[in-house]
Amino acid sequence: MKDYAGPIELSLRINGETRRVQARPGDSLLRLLRERLGLTGTKCGCENGDCGACTVLVDGAPIKSCMALAVECEGSDILTIEGLRGHPVQKAFAVENGFQCGFCTPGMILNAVALLSAHPEEDEEADREWMQSNICRCTGYEGIRLALASARRSLKD
Amino acid sequence: MLYEFSYLAPRSVADLVQALDEHKDDGKFLAGGTDLLPNIRNGLMRPRFVIDGKKVPGADALNGGATEGLSMGPAVSINDLLRSPFVREQYPVLCVCAHELASHQIRNRATVAGNVVNASPCSDMAPALLCLGATALLRSAGGERELAFKDFFTGVKKTALKPGEYLERIVIPAASKGARGSYKKLKRIAGHDLGIVGVLMVRLGDSLRFAVSSAAPTPVLVESVTAKDSPEEAVAKVLAAVSPISDVRGTKEYREHMIGVYVRRLLAEVK
Repeated sequence: MKDYAGPIELSLRINGETRRVQARPGDSLLRLLRERLGLTGTKCGCENGDCGACTVLVDGAPIKSCMALAVECEGSDILTIEGLRGHPVQKAFAVENGFQCGFCTPGMILNAVALLSAHPEEDEEADREWMQSNICRCTGYEGIRLALASARRSLKD
Repeated sequence: MLYEFSYLAPRSVADLVQALDEHKDDGKFLAGGTDLLPNIRNGLMRPRFVIDGKKVPGADALNGGATEGLSMGPAVSINDLLRSPFVREQYPVLCVCAHELASHQIRNRATVAGNVVNASPCSDMAPALLCLGATALLRSAGGERELAFKDFFTGVKKTALKPGEYLERIVIPAASKGARGSYKKLKRIAGHDLGIVGVLMVRLGDSLRFAVSSAAPTPVLVESVTAKDSPEEAVAKVLAAVSPISDVRGTKEYREHMIGVYVRRLLAEVK
């Protein structure tokens, strides 16, 4: 049996790169990304599973990284906002004003990337259901809805 | 950093029961972590050992077939359930309740087993398991035993699980295949929220079952309502089985009133 007491060395695959990192069993994935790897694009909002600012993709599935232990994710593929460069979803959020302060944006974008890959065709019910996981206190969500629609169009082209 | 603990990831059932046995007093079983990890972070739980049950082969197995019922390991997430064509077709009641549980991302991690072992009165999966006549297969170093879910919940956040024991499988009988139902959950907002009160009604052949969440120390199963009862009689029978309290989310009277409203609506809706 693997027993991780005290500090441990984890090997995690993050944004396509294998990273070896010192961690403690109690480190959440969120804390590990931000504090041990300096990947501060993933935001810490409520740290209680409510707000979605810390959303990352683990093996393609969006999860709240405040509610997962880093050590649980060994062997999984983790995608953070730093792993996206000029993705159509990012462009669509900029063009459609899908954000104002930007704090919820990395989580929104990662959730949207997973959503659009699971539901490439227009599906308002799926959009609403998936995006309920992320809270935005600025936009009133209209810009985000428009960004989703526009990203879906450009991903299809 | 949540809190200083050791993390154990057993790779076999034998190692898992041994770890749970060794850490009866200071260990906690980790499934989806959506309750355990916030509880640790908020200082409500301070386990010295966190024992991850997801790495045991078969923990995420969701099996069902033409003649058997359905069997789920402790790592089956709520979204695994919702994505299973077999479950959607044969046990739609599970999906009806699963769909009301938290938000999509939480459902990627939260497990069915965790939702019932946590034994919150507002558990969304417990009403479905109660109405479908599900059984819990419990395992410990001492062996395994079977328990009907109607005997599983013993109090607020309390279950019949003994120290060192874990929920190895949830089994839903083949006899409950095709049961139809609907779940009404009263929440403050349309999105992710804990229920103020929830009522599930299930119809299988001629038999009716109700299960109520957030209205007693445990989720409550009501089997006494029959197809011949008038809506008023049905409401009276369901209300007689629950004992809601007044708390931050709603008063006793509001809960009782809404249970009545939901029972009447469900009787009209689930044909």
